[in-house]
Amino acid sequence: VQELHGDEPKSAATASTQLFHSDGGEMEPETMEIKSVSEYFTKIHIDSLLSGHGG
Amino acid sequence: HVRYRMEVSCLELALEGERLCKLGDYRAGVSFFEAAIQVGTEDLQVLSAIYSQLGNAYFHLHDYAKALEFHRHDLTLTRTIGDLLGEAKASGNLGNTLKVLGRFDEAMVCCQRHLEIARDISDKVGQARALYNFGNVYHAKGKSICWSGAEPGDFPEDVMAALRKASEYYEANLVLVQELGDRAAQGRTYGNLGNTHYLLGNFRNAVASHEQRLLIAKEFGDRSAERRAYCNLGNAYIFLGEFEVAAEHYKRTLQLARQLKDRAVEAQACYSLGNTYTLLQDYERAIDYHLKHLIIAQDLNDRIGEGRACWSLGNAHTALGSHDQAMHFAEKHLEICRETGDRSGELTARMNVTDLQTVLGLSYSTNNSTLSENIDDKMQGARPRMSRRRSMENLELMNLTPDKMNVQK
Repeated sequence: VQELHGDEPKSAATASTQLFHSDGGEMEPETMEIKSVSEYFTKIHIDSLLSGHGG
Repeated sequence: HVRYRMEVSCLELALEGERLCKLGDYRAGVSFFEAAIQVGTEDLQVLSAIYSQLGNAYFHLHDYAKALEFHRHDLTLTRTIGDLLGEAKASGNLGNTLKVLGRFDEAMVCCQRHLEIARDISDKVGQARALYNFGNVYHAKGKSICWSGAEPGDFPEDVMAALRKASEYYEANLVLVQELGDRAAQGRTYGNLGNTHYLLGNFRNAVASHEQRLLIAKEFGDRSAERRAYCNLGNAYIFLGEFEVAAEHYKRTLQLARQLKDRAVEAQACYSLGNTYTLLQDYERAIDYHLKHLIIAQDLNDRIGEGRACWSLGNAHTALGSHDQAMHFAEKHLEICRETGDRSGELTARMNVTDLQTVLGLSYSTNNSTLSENIDDKMQGARPRMSRRRSMENLELMNLTPDKMNVQK
């Protein structure tokens, strides 16, 4: 049987698409570190209460 | 008195920003945080928290230049006031941001600092988080070096080295989070470790990791994570040559994508299923899924996806000998490639159209059924080639392109 496009460069179609997820799979989300104003003030409040009781 | 009013006002604005970000409304959150900065505060811990949250809000909004700016401010501030824990957190966030921006070497310096501080203050949670971030930076670095064209397990040595480093950091993280009993963190690490094994070409290990990820996602009722795990498992089974198993996993992906009402993921699952059934030589089913993909791509105005769908449909119809249908999709593929400026896709599409013109021209111009059948045999050449692919060494898969599927050897 004849080859239809034997002389075409092999790369001719590779960029058109790739069959499966070529991005190496779906990644999990990043874990960002969290700072919070409300938690900071809650902590200050608790600390002052504790030191108040201590004194 | 004025000072007191300002402090209250800054604090109130920041608290409202915090509340909005917790609800996921980062845009509105940013406005409140920026207003809080305008008002200003004497309390540097409050300022650090505002910078950090602004950085994270911008990160979630994918404005990484802004995220970088605020995490930098936070780092400078925490260093100035000697807040070690704050510096560790700022370093972690800055590292993640630099990673997304592709500045891997700088990101690694940040990860290292995060890790060092966590070790110095015997903070195991912090150490684990730094190790996870480190793994992510190496993984992203590996992927960034050389990507297109190569297949998993067959990348240049520097890529493989970075991926191996990533897996080492993920393994080190796993030891800690298992000790800490942090299942959510284990889930994330198993997911990324699975993807790393996949890229390294260790498909059995990839399956084992993603199975663990799936288990934990189910424990938490986290359907997005479950969907990711099924999809990643499907990909790994493709490379193991176990197409039936892959199809089952992609079907679960599809089910979950529909439940989650994520149309783009639904389209992707249909596309993967179409390709899997092509590998199984069940072209009718392949066409069914590629049509589903096509409809969603059109709904979403995704011209590139639409082009892929047409290309795949053209191939499947060619394999079935439905040359009229094949021509319809090949022409549509050509039209879309021209529109999207996909030069190599255009070349492929033009070759397909020319081939099909030859076949159709010959079948229409002659009543000689023998000739017509002969050509039909030629155009169905995808079948014997595909069957050879079933006995995978599946690394060839990524190069399975339409011209190769049509070509006779």
